[in-house]
Amino acid sequence: MGEAAGTAAVWQYAGAAIGMGLAVIGAGIGIGKLAAGVADGVARQPSAHSQISAATNLPLFLLEGVAILALVFCLLIVLLK
Amino acid sequence: MNPVFVIAQEHVPAATDAFNAGELIMGHVSNSSLAHPLIHLPTMMGIDFSVTKHVFMIWLVAASLFVGLTALVRRAIRQPASIPGGSMNVLELVVEFVRDGIVIPSIGPKWAPTWTPLLLTVFVFILGSNLIGLFPIFDVLGLLSHYVFHFSDQSFLGKVIHGGTTPTGNFNVTAALAVVTFGAIILAGSMAHGFVQHWKNLVPKGMPAAIYPLLIPLEIMGMLVRPFALTMRLAANMTGGHIAILAILSLVFVLTEMMHTAVAGVGIGLVFSMPLAVAISALEIIVVLVQAYVFTLLSAVFIGMAIHAHH
Repeated sequence: MGEAAGTAAVWQYAGAAIGMGLAVIGAGIGIGKLAAGVADGVARQPSAHSQISAATNLPLFLLEGVAILALVFCLLIVLLK
Repeated sequence: MNPVFVIAQEHVPAATDAFNAGELIMGHVSNSSLAHPLIHLPTMMGIDFSVTKHVFMIWLVAASLFVGLTALVRRAIRQPASIPGGSMNVLELVVEFVRDGIVIPSIGPKWAPTWTPLLLTVFVFILGSNLIGLFPIFDVLGLLSHYVFHFSDQSFLGKVIHGGTTPTGNFNVTAALAVVTFGAIILAGSMAHGFVQHWKNLVPKGMPAAIYPLLIPLEIMGMLVRPFALTMRLAANMTGGHIAILAILSLVFVLTEMMHTAVAGVGIGLVFSMPLAVAISALEIIVVLVQAYVFTLLSAVFIGMAIHAHH
């Protein structure tokens, strides 16, 4: 392996790692805001607990899907040389 | 010749003996290669029909679910008056959960009888495939083989012990499941509105004409992204847990090699790896249930969106 190829591989790993971190930061902020909203809503209106949590599920899973997609593409950066 | 290069060459055999965590993890998570399948089958129409370990696990799940559930339901039908007990109770709980908790809220009571069977099948199959990855049956078999039975590498059992992973951790399996959902969405829209009207419903009416060239490609992309996201979510979640557990357990061997003493490895194993691996395994039980629920829920929501196209 030459010097240039070695440096390229290092940048590849660094890029994948940074991308992973950014994806996790974004997903964390999203899930945090969602959970804060749910806690707020339930505290104001405890009787609507089941409705609130039912309405939370779908955006939560869509958010998770986006984050997982980002992580899969980070994995692909490392695996597909 | 450069002396450093000679030393490096002399170290090559030692390097191949070293513990390679990445190789171990990929060997566990990925499918067996087509060169060494469990059962060799001929190639037909350019497709190799050989049974690899993920295919074997799918068959195992499908067969055990089919036999188990059929036996359960037949026994319940034979005594219709009696109150369901034991495992039949659990089955009825699952059926009612999918029908009342997933299908009716997202599709509506009118079309629920049409789509409940499909979504129930998807839910039970994904749940079974996810759960079978949690049981270390084949790892136990591998231990027995190593110390007691000594299966040969060529025999069927000798090949099976390298298996035992989650079939839904394979992107091809989840892609096939997502294609079923994709077809179901189109079929649902066509059954509710007619084939041509379903495609018209994808784009909202009454927009300025200039927006449509932008909107139509966007809607087509959205239609294709949904099954893609379903594929990636399920497979990545199922693979991720295995990778995390194996990576944490690999620390034992990595540290043993780095410190040149087994005490370091065993120490990190007892203090860090084992408790964390147990915790992640417990988390995996939740993930397994949630991912089966998510796949079914999103399929139901997409089918419901095709049926209730309010534009």
